[in-house]
Amino acid sequence: MSEHPDIRDLLGPYVMGALEPHEEREVEDHLERCASCREEARELRLAHERLADLAYNVESPPPDLKVRVVARIPRREARRRVPSWVTAVAAAFCVLAVLAVLLTPDLFGGGALASADLSPTDRAPEAGGEVSIRGVGENMEMRLEAWGLPPCKREQYYELWLVEGDDRVSAGSFTVGRSGRVDVRFNAPSFADSYPKVGITAEHDKDPRASDTKMLSGELHEL
Amino acid sequence: MDRVEDEVLVRRVASGDERALAELYDRYAGLVYGTGMRYLGDRETAEELVQDVFTSVWKNAAGFDPARASFATWVYRITRNRATDLIRRRKARVQTVDDQPFRESGETDPSGELSRNFDVAAALSRLSPAHREVLVLAYFHGFSQREISDRTATPLGTVKSRTTAALRALREIMSLDE
Repeated sequence: MSEHPDIRDLLGPYVMGALEPHEEREVEDHLERCASCREEARELRLAHERLADLAYNVESPPPDLKVRVVARIPRREARRRVPSWVTAVAAAFCVLAVLAVLLTPDLFGGGALASADLSPTDRAPEAGGEVSIRGVGENMEMRLEAWGLPPCKREQYYELWLVEGDDRVSAGSFTVGRSGRVDVRFNAPSFADSYPKVGITAEHDKDPRASDTKMLSGELHEL
Repeated sequence: MDRVEDEVLVRRVASGDERALAELYDRYAGLVYGTGMRYLGDRETAEELVQDVFTSVWKNAAGFDPARASFATWVYRITRNRATDLIRRRKARVQTVDDQPFRESGETDPSGELSRNFDVAAALSRLSPAHREVLVLAYFHGFSQREISDRTATPLGTVKSRTTAALRALREIMSLDE
């Protein structure tokens, strides 16, 4: 019975069908002889089936829906009695705070170390977006979701930048079609989350420096 | 980071905390949206359902009584009722236009499956972050145990034993709630 603890640790992936064939055979051989592990596997299978059922019924809403939901909730009456300048400052903090948790580890996202809400410039006043940075092994991955960007013309593209003062490091480039939407992931160095800001510029030549055509920008917040 | 209980977040929503509403959105919007897609059949109406449900949570949070039901049960009822309203509204509209009966089951969640899903979502939100992470990556992102190991920089053996422990913890929470 010395195998018992090791086999017991494999029962979760076993009921999920996630073991290698040789491991699966080992577990099945053990289950034939061990009533307590059979009972444990039965219990875990119930949890697995419920979870699989939930996963089947969950669907990721469009990334901008959360912002629309929060923006459209009716404001509390009490807030209207506050002086307007206080409201403006509080609202600014509130929006930053709400958007800072947009990509908080959750049921359907998960693992983000830092995130930024992207605010539009005059060049794309309807645009918006979110950037999240998460650890992947020894490196980072940046996920960009943006909407409302003007479609790229021929040989035009957008570039995502990590920004600190006047320093800019490119995190990757992308194009946008008629939908104006993009959802892309870029590899990033392990220190990507140490930059205070991110920004997106429109580019149309081979100059590696950032152009002055800023489309979106935002501050990175640690999560 | 410790997970704040749903019921604590509802209290914060009642006092006007939009961040708390955003956190509840993170936990349940996927299920509400999925419910909309399943029962209402199109993205636009599913988005309307999400908007309606979370606006209702915002407006009625002060009346939520955790002694009577969990937040998951409460938001499930709101979702079911709003989905039924949207089905009826669309049914009336379609009959007016086409003068044909609308093909619809007429009842949202007759088998109770949707209710169970909300309970499981609530149980999942109560797991430790490490346990929740392995289950979310496996079930909601479809990653293999090895891929989870690579993505989280965790030894493969640890991922397997953690997955087992996470399923066990989930089962225990669900048993307590039953």
